[in-house]
Amino acid sequence: MVLIAIIIGCVVGALIGMNAPVISYTYSGYLAIAIVAALDSVFGGIASTLKGKFDMMVFVSGFFGNAILSILLTFLGEKLNVDIYLAAIVVFVGRMFTNLAIIRRHYLDKWMNRHQEK
Amino acid sequence: MKGKTTMTIIVGLICLILTAVMFMQFKTISRIDVTALENMQEAELKSEIASWKTKYEEVLKKKEDTNLKIEEYRENITNNQRASELLTNDLNQLTGLIGLREVTGSGVIITLEDNEYVRITPTDILELINELKLSGAEAISINDERIVYNSYVVSPNGTFIQVDGVKLVSPYVVKAIGNPTYLESGLSKKQYGYIDSKKAEGISVKLERKDNITINKYSRDLEFKYAQ
Repeated sequence: MVLIAIIIGCVVGALIGMNAPVISYTYSGYLAIAIVAALDSVFGGIASTLKGKFDMMVFVSGFFGNAILSILLTFLGEKLNVDIYLAAIVVFVGRMFTNLAIIRRHYLDKWMNRHQEK
Repeated sequence: MKGKTTMTIIVGLICLILTAVMFMQFKTISRIDVTALENMQEAELKSEIASWKTKYEEVLKKKEDTNLKIEEYRENITNNQRASELLTNDLNQLTGLIGLREVTGSGVIITLEDNEYVRITPTDILELINELKLSGAEAISINDERIVYNSYVVSPNGTFIQVDGVKLVSPYVVKAIGNPTYLESGLSKKQYGYIDSKKAEGISVKLERKDNITINKYSRDLEFKYAQ
């Protein structure tokens, strides 16, 4: 059920994105940061789901909050002439790797357990 | 069940948003991938733009400076032209005054002639010159010998009259530029005037008013050797 929703959402989103107007290059940096933040939230969500601690509100607020906050920080960095987006990328991507490691271990454990049972 | 549905919808929506934004970004980036931009980071481009901007500003400043200089030079040139005009005017004026330039103008021509009874002496001519100067003559010549500041009229051995070392013979044609009326009336005062007194001495004097008299320039060099 959720998987179907994810697939439908991805396909429709891809179609919308393909047909959406091209945004100017100036703002694509902000968008990239927002995407990274959102991806971080998604992986965080997956990891917490696997741990069984998934909270819808946390996930949604993290998804949008992180994206908007990272955009704002990037904007502020632009104004201050400091590459704050680098910090955002480091944090988000680092967390993404952590979450990915959690996911990987979870499935690895599962697979190992099944293997041992056999 | 209701929670599950909303969760599904929200997850779907989030996936939708995420993929939509990602594809927008992909499209933008692929669209931007043109020529030199592809390898350049935004920061690089920014610094490039900044450097071009500063260069442009520098060039603009230089251009302004150059324009200012040109303006200055132009002003100088016009000033120089004006100055040289003034100097030329002065030069003309002064050369005319000291006799190094041919001058024309209205004035009188006095002709003194020897006759059987009386010979003209340098004194006669000096008197005439004096008289003319008194009446406002601006340039004087005797038989086309320009009278200048250090001119002299002598008769070394009593035969010839010399003006500045040049021997002159009768008739002596004295040209004077000035106000013709003043000159004429200065010379032809009754009884004690030059013409009358010379005529009384028996010298033939002829006075002629002319509107266009040309007086030659002094033919030798005028220069200081001792005066500084």
